[in-house]
Amino acid sequence: MDFAWSDQQRELLDAVGRFASQQLKYNVIDNDRDGVFNHDAWEKCGSFGIQGLPVPTQYGGLGMDPLTTVAALERLGYACKDNGLLFSINAHLWTAVTPLIYNGSEAQKKKYLPGLSNGMLIGGNAMSEPNSGSDAFSLSTTAIKKGSTYILNGSKIFVTNGPIADLLVVFATVDKMRGPDGITAFLVEKNSPGMNAARKLEKMGLRTSPMAEVFFENCEVPEENLLGKEGGGAFLFTRSMTWERGCILASAVGSMQRLLETCIRYANERKQGGQSIGKYQLVASKIVDMKVRVESSRHMLYHYGWLSGHRKAVYLEAAMTKLHIADCWVKCCEDAIQIHGGYGYMTEYEVERELRDAIASKLYSGTSEIQRNIVASMLGL
Amino acid sequence: MKILVPFKSVLDPNEATAAGAAVSTPKSVINPFDEIAIEEALRVRERGEATEIVGVTIGPPAVDEQIRVALAMGVDRAIRIDEFRALDPYAVARILRAVVEKEAPHVVIMGKQAVDDDSNQVGQMLAGLLGWPQATFVSKIEFLGNKTRARCTRETDAGLEIVEVDLPAILTTDLRLNEPRYVSLPGLMRARRKPIEVLTCDQLGTSVRPLTTVLSVARPPRRSAGTRVESVEELITKLKQEAKVI
Repeated sequence: MDFAWSDQQRELLDAVGRFASQQLKYNVIDNDRDGVFNHDAWEKCGSFGIQGLPVPTQYGGLGMDPLTTVAALERLGYACKDNGLLFSINAHLWTAVTPLIYNGSEAQKKKYLPGLSNGMLIGGNAMSEPNSGSDAFSLSTTAIKKGSTYILNGSKIFVTNGPIADLLVVFATVDKMRGPDGITAFLVEKNSPGMNAARKLEKMGLRTSPMAEVFFENCEVPEENLLGKEGGGAFLFTRSMTWERGCILASAVGSMQRLLETCIRYANERKQGGQSIGKYQLVASKIVDMKVRVESSRHMLYHYGWLSGHRKAVYLEAAMTKLHIADCWVKCCEDAIQIHGGYGYMTEYEVERELRDAIASKLYSGTSEIQRNIVASMLGL
Repeated sequence: MKILVPFKSVLDPNEATAAGAAVSTPKSVINPFDEIAIEEALRVRERGEATEIVGVTIGPPAVDEQIRVALAMGVDRAIRIDEFRALDPYAVARILRAVVEKEAPHVVIMGKQAVDDDSNQVGQMLAGLLGWPQATFVSKIEFLGNKTRARCTRETDAGLEIVEVDLPAILTTDLRLNEPRYVSLPGLMRARRKPIEVLTCDQLGTSVRPLTTVLSVARPPRRSAGTRVESVEELITKLKQEAKVI
């Protein structure tokens, strides 16, 4: 395994860092309080090339391998404090773009991938339902074929990018009796008659990433918007979930690195009892733990990226990577608040927001408990 | 119209040493004023007034990194003058004269100065050596008369001065001319296919023997700590008698 960057990779990663530190420095405090998504930043990321990182060049992307892609997203997370924007980008990449790359027809790829790569289109997926979360394949949204269209009925919840998405990958069953084999994926465009993504959900963190409840009431989806095969949705979902688990917390590693540096700076500057608080072993120990978490997270991330790029099986590694980074991120945020004391609890220090944002990582893309179940099952338990 | 943009590689003026970062090596970037010159050339081309933009820089192979940034921004091709020695502005101007004679551009757009040595001489010297007109510190450029003249707005202490120069000419850019675009990843990929020509001073038939030599570089003396005064009266007395400023 070789994580030494080539000149070309280093050049690309430096460019990402430079772009993010120059173009994505804006007031996140107000946007977080008001729940505002930064469209301008999304478009900048698009024209810069972030959304096109893993997309093959013939569809307007950069055709980057998974290792380079996660390293680029890590740089983005380091320099951009808007975790909500990054979450929206991740949801877009791993739940809409990846399934299209792997399962889209040539016509579908040509139609959607260039716009999804350059920031013009926003994607997302609709899987979770009020009564099916971790047990995703028990979903009850139905798709009934009628002539050359499918009629969708049902409701979806926690749809990231729901209120702003131009294109949603929607999972529904063509026959509930067939269980997972009935699950089918559809590409549903914004403003499709019968689709309503109006109810915006308020949440604890990631408040700059809009989320909606989406309703389908006799929503007609043309046959050519079937993604993959009828009944192929469960396989498609599992594959895109593996990508998602492996990659979605790449930016969190960057965010942890930034928190670590913020804490080192603060621990050196803040004086109590006649010395900087970093000289107290209880504070230093927390910072050492943060450093070890950042490094172990980064290694698991790169390891996943390397394996994935070399077409190795990564089902187990993706689950472990997601589980570990989510745990580390939340713990780093708790430590960062503790090191900052009362100031860390104050909004203006921008540490408490990190914790609110980080906690969701134990829930989305499969809860930490689900990741543990996967790991256990892969260990023969 | 062909535009030549000379640019210099300088240490990143915005680079802060990050606490906890594993490695902290000084990074180089394109001199910010030159970046503005590149941006202006790109805008002129986007307006359909230029057909080719050639970048030129002087330095060892390490500056190829900044050359690729220029190419990624949209410069068509680049020339690197392979030179390791420290150069003074006159040496730079002579090298650039040789490049101008080889490339025959219709206009040279470059930064008014480099942010490392702040000499602010190369553009003027280059114009002198070539016998070309110059417009320095420009904050606006328009090409007129079927691209035979350039009308430039210059920022001076007295206000905005508008001058017209016949082409070919040397234009040096000020801060408010434009805001340079950021390098995009697709731009970086395209830049890898663009050519970088490497030339030596010998090949250009020019020498770089400097006219000036830097004898020493020193930090300014540290300011000594101030003193506290008890009252306004004491302050006034000290300002009058000790500082002698009022």
